[in-house]
Amino acid sequence: MSIYSSLIQRKFKHIAGKRYERILKEYREFLLTEEEMVLPEIGSILMPIDRYVREIPKDLYDTLSAYDATILLVYIIDSQVFSIIRQTLSKEASEEFKRKEELNGEKMLGKIAKELENLGLRTQRRLFFGNKSEDVIKIANNYEMLAISKAYGSEITKSSPLSPVVLKIIQHLEIPTIVY
Amino acid sequence: MITMEAVALAVFLFTYGLIMSERIHRTVAAMFGAAVVMMLKVVPWEKLPEYLDLDTIFLLAGMMIIVNTARNSGLFEYLAIKTAKLAKGSPIRVLLLFSVVTALVSSFLDNVTTVLLLTPMLLYISRLMEINPMPFLLSEIFASNIGGAATLIGDPPNIMIGSAAKLSFMDFILNMSPIAFIDLLVSIVLIYFIYRGALKVDERDREKINRTLERLDEKAAIKDLALFRKSIATIGLVVVLFFLHDRLGVEPAVVALFGASFILLWSREKPEEVLEKVEWATLFFFGGLFIIVGGLVETGFIGQLANWITSHIVGEGEALIAIAWFSAFASAIIDNIPFTATMIPLIKAMGGSLNIYPLWWALSLGACLGGNGTAIGASANVVVIGIAEREGVKITFGDFLKVGMFIMMATVAIGVGLLWIRYVWW
Repeated sequence: MSIYSSLIQRKFKHIAGKRYERILKEYREFLLTEEEMVLPEIGSILMPIDRYVREIPKDLYDTLSAYDATILLVYIIDSQVFSIIRQTLSKEASEEFKRKEELNGEKMLGKIAKELENLGLRTQRRLFFGNKSEDVIKIANNYEMLAISKAYGSEITKSSPLSPVVLKIIQHLEIPTIVY
Repeated sequence: MITMEAVALAVFLFTYGLIMSERIHRTVAAMFGAAVVMMLKVVPWEKLPEYLDLDTIFLLAGMMIIVNTARNSGLFEYLAIKTAKLAKGSPIRVLLLFSVVTALVSSFLDNVTTVLLLTPMLLYISRLMEINPMPFLLSEIFASNIGGAATLIGDPPNIMIGSAAKLSFMDFILNMSPIAFIDLLVSIVLIYFIYRGALKVDERDREKINRTLERLDEKAAIKDLALFRKSIATIGLVVVLFFLHDRLGVEPAVVALFGASFILLWSREKPEEVLEKVEWATLFFFGGLFIIVGGLVETGFIGQLANWITSHIVGEGEALIAIAWFSAFASAIIDNIPFTATMIPLIKAMGGSLNIYPLWWALSLGACLGGNGTAIGASANVVVIGIAEREGVKITFGDFLKVGMFIMMATVAIGVGLLWIRYVWW
């Protein structure tokens, strides 16, 4: 080591002490590592939505825009809820539920698809009757990534910040998942 | 008396040598020198309060407590990530934004903390961009030293000068801030022209870098949101009080101590933990230096030197130019803190035959900006170069000297020119 180098190191040790190690440790908690900096090749993303997903955060759009992927937006109308309404209330009530869900679904799918297409992403849309957890798990097997809201499938609260539907889905999948 | 003078001078030179070589910790060198001076009664015990500049020591201690408490909130990491994101993957924006942020933070908080917190982020961005980090790192160093020159609390030499000459925060704002502002712009432009070839990233890569930076979450850096808000409020309050301290009739050290006690009271942070992080070594270093220099004053050496200088200098203009340039070159080689500690009594002693008011600004200019001249000129330089070396980026003495000396000469020349116009020519 040259005189200059050893002088700098001695001075650095005396001036900065252990402060640099502490700062570096703190930075490591939120700076991406070399490995994390490399974006995985993702060609298809599944993004289920429903009436509980009130807003898509801007950060999610930014993150999704980093991938050159086709995004399938699915809106599943809970067929079980539809049947319960039909059996307990009336056929009209269940049809009203279906009509409102379809209207909301089309509106949400259109809005989110537009935002994603503005970022240069390709989108596909599907709206159907089904089981929110089972169908998502089934479809997700053909996709490379899942982006799902914490509120998908049920209301969330402070004491229960993750919907049980989401919990079930992510426990059954092996693909990378973004829970927003 | 001649013996005492010789002892004081010998201790002073020996301590300077130890500080420069850094063979032993500079605090130990200063404490040992002070102990010798006191043991030999060069500075009698009863004269100690006269030489120990408590304004400087308490101001530093107060600011250290505020910074250490604020650091626990993640405020500075938040600022670094936010700045990185604002740059949007453009190397020129990185250069500009980080230089401005560094200068701004350094003008109110200590330079070492500022560069310690910003350098890892700059190195990270350079790695992302796959470009040479040298222009960013050098610009950060220069901005830190220039920013420090802008205010009373920005750099230890200014704190010492302000305390000794009874200059207020506003005096520094009116005299040094305009110089620092122009010097900062000049240094950024010069760095850009020197390294413009290296500051290029093609459009596709820039998009990719921007996306990676966008994935960084500045909010994740906030460890304690309540403390984060309280820290911003306290730093804001302290800055306002610094602006008003002269009107309120309180010393800057009182403002810093008020801020320190206020943030401790409001945040309920454990005082033991915060006080543990106060750089006691730095405070003792200052204490030791004040006593060693006190020995030179006590024995009359400084008085004789001042007489000799004033007999060879004609008028304030000449003194201003001489002090600014001498301070700049001296501070480029030796630590500007002991240098300023020595120059202060010297300038005071010149007060009998000269108007010394402009000379304080010349000293501040030279001592703060001289640090940009060499790799070992200021603590911020050493810290940035030390971090860079640990991360595999080598900045040699020659690399630094070529750019640093040029920046130092340009910025000091601008400062001297402005001071000369204001105090001599006008």
